[in-house]
Amino acid sequence: MYKYSNIDKKIIADRTKQFQNQVERRLNGKLTEEEFKPLRLMNGLYLQLHAYMLRVAIPYGELSSTQLRKLAFIADKFDRGYGHFTTRQNIQFNWPKLPEVPEILDQLSEVEMHAIQTSGNCIRNISSDHLAGLTAEEVEDPRPWCEIIRKWSTFHPEFSFLPRKFKIAVTGCLEDRTALLVHDIGLRLIKKNNVIGFEVFVGGGQGRTPHIAKMIRSFLSKKDLLNYLEAILTTYNQLGRRDNIYKARIKILVNELGVQKFKSLVEKNFVKFSNEKLKLDKNTINDIFNFFKLPKLKYSSNKLPISKNKKFNEWKQQNTLPHKISGYSIVLISLKPPGKPPGDADSRQMQELANISDDFSFGEIRVTHEQNLVLPHVNNTQIYQLWQQLDILKLATPNIGLISDTICCPGMDYCALATARSIPISQKIGNNFKKYFDQKSIGDIKIKISGCINACGHHHVGNIGILGLDRNGEEFYQITLGGSAKEDAAIGQIIGPSFSEKKLISAIRRIIKTYRKNKKNASEDFLSVFRRIGIEAFKKDLYDNTRKKN
Amino acid sequence: MIILERKTEKLNKYKRITNEFFSANDFLPTSLLSLYQWQEIKKQGIKKNFQLAIEINSDESSESIKDSLKKFSMIQLNFKTFKDGRPFTLVKELRIEHKFKGEIRASGHILPDQYVFLLRCGFDTVEIKKEDKEIWIELLNLDNGLYYQP
Ligand code: SF4
Repeated sequence: MYKYSNIDKKIIADRTKQFQNQVERRLNGKLTEEEFKPLRLMNGLYLQLHAYMLRVAIPYGELSSTQLRKLAFIADKFDRGYGHFTTRQNIQFNWPKLPEVPEILDQLSEVEMHAIQTSGNCIRNISSDHLAGLTAEEVEDPRPWCEIIRKWSTFHPEFSFLPRKFKIAVTGCLEDRTALLVHDIGLRLIKKNNVIGFEVFVGGGQGRTPHIAKMIRSFLSKKDLLNYLEAILTTYNQLGRRDNIYKARIKILVNELGVQKFKSLVEKNFVKFSNEKLKLDKNTINDIFNFFKLPKLKYSSNKLPISKNKKFNEWKQQNTLPHKISGYSIVLISLKPPGKPPGDADSRQMQELANISDDFSFGEIRVTHEQNLVLPHVNNTQIYQLWQQLDILKLATPNIGLISDTICCPGMDYCALATARSIPISQKIGNNFKKYFDQKSIGDIKIKISGCINACGHHHVGNIGILGLDRNGEEFYQITLGGSAKEDAAIGQIIGPSFSEKKLISAIRRIIKTYRKNKKNASEDFLSVFRRIGIEAFKKDLYDNTRKKN
Repeated sequence: MIILERKTEKLNKYKRITNEFFSANDFLPTSLLSLYQWQEIKKQGIKKNFQLAIEINSDESSESIKDSLKKFSMIQLNFKTFKDGRPFTLVKELRIEHKFKGEIRASGHILPDQYVFLLRCGFDTVEIKKEDKEIWIELLNLDNGLYYQP
């Protein structure tokens, strides 16, 4: 794991001091709320429906047990005893008080954490593959690259007041677990003629006008990474729209200019402004890579244990993956037990998980963009014991990748922008598809729920997407089908008129029924069936049947 | 308003010229022209042979001055709002692409919290309210010169 250098420490400490100064100026009226807003946002502090919300950065989703323990402490001392893991692999606290925020930031800096650039119109926390460094098919570990970008983008003097927020993801695999193509910039490590470099995608995004990112460089050499990122950001800062907040993201610029024109502007800026000092040499890269070595794992032929315990077997089947070092497994911890808000963990769970990760996974924990957690290196001989402990903590729900493993934004329960609730919908889905057997027979499927068109719950790229709307004060839900956030990224298509909260679950059941009916074989998943038969078949079944019932 | 160069207050030698009072002959080396005024006198043909200052708003295009940079001793980039970050890139273009060596000044709606960023991007001076001087200096004092970027 990355460890702070003295420079990192100093920079974070200074930032905390600076923010203390800003909070003081706000409290004594020297800063207006309008002026304070972008400053607090740059420190991750939002004003929500009921209170402030503090979003703490978990760079590329990687946490140590010490850090998780600190998060548990903060949840207890400054919040209401829980935290919420987000789709950007961060954690949010929903109830901090403004005068206490500097103290929270102090506490965080003790464990090398902060809330910098988790909001505001700047380059946000870099996201990555939660299986980075763990799988055999990976071209290269993306985390060191995330760290290099994190440093470069932190307090970037030129790019801290962009037209809009800016999100970058990096993956090292063809199989995409980062939602790469709905990022402002997506970087994929690839190998060409035996040299590793990057494919560069730009202009992806969700919100009210979703776009899949387009490739603007099929191979970028490693040494040029930062200069090329600067060239993209320069182009965006020059030309990105500032007249309309809904048109300010880079996706709009790329689409208005056309990808070829945009690319040529970037390439020109790349030549004009390339800075020798930003070129990455081998030593710098190696120094960062050294932080991300695997812990000392011993190869063995130990397999996962065979047990008569049905619950354990279900969990083992659903929530573990083979590690690239034989004898170990990757364990996924679902934060979607039936009836709970997706992504929430209480302070006891965090505390205990920190201990568990020390005992079973070298003190490492990761956060996935699907709002679950990962224990990256668990010895197969200890899996049963681990499961027992997770089960006691209610952290052994066997639903990773299944229908109840929904992504969901905070919605009307917390968010000031929401047009409808989203958490209760996710809870209902969880309660309706509780049995492992039922879920397993449906197979891999992604349901994603947003409480408004801003799409923080990624509904556009859900295999089934649910968008909460307000119709004359009543909550309605629009359903889209066929979206994907993976390497075959696609924006879902609206199936038809939306449903009241009451009718939503039966509509989803109907959609699942249509899928089942059309499945060619047991392994054909929802998205494949959708792509084969198209939306019309689903539409016909859904609305004909709903109408009959009315 | 005062002009601050790092921590020192500096005399402002430039004066805006009012709208009704400009022609190609009616400005002095101490004149601060708007982009519009500059374009007007450029049309008329610039008769005088000395440098002057120009102010460009953050939402104005700077294209029309890029071929005449030698005419300016000072370029003032005026932030319509501190959230409009375009001048941070424009100053890079002026310094690196066009090799502009004169003074570049930030004015308008800027915050002391942006001071270090402004200086690092290539601004020399800022125009601020007199009563804000202390806080601008205080925030600059917090800067210890450690950055992630070259
Ligand atoms: S999608 Fe809308 S409701 Fe949900 S968190 Fe984002 S802004 Fe809030």
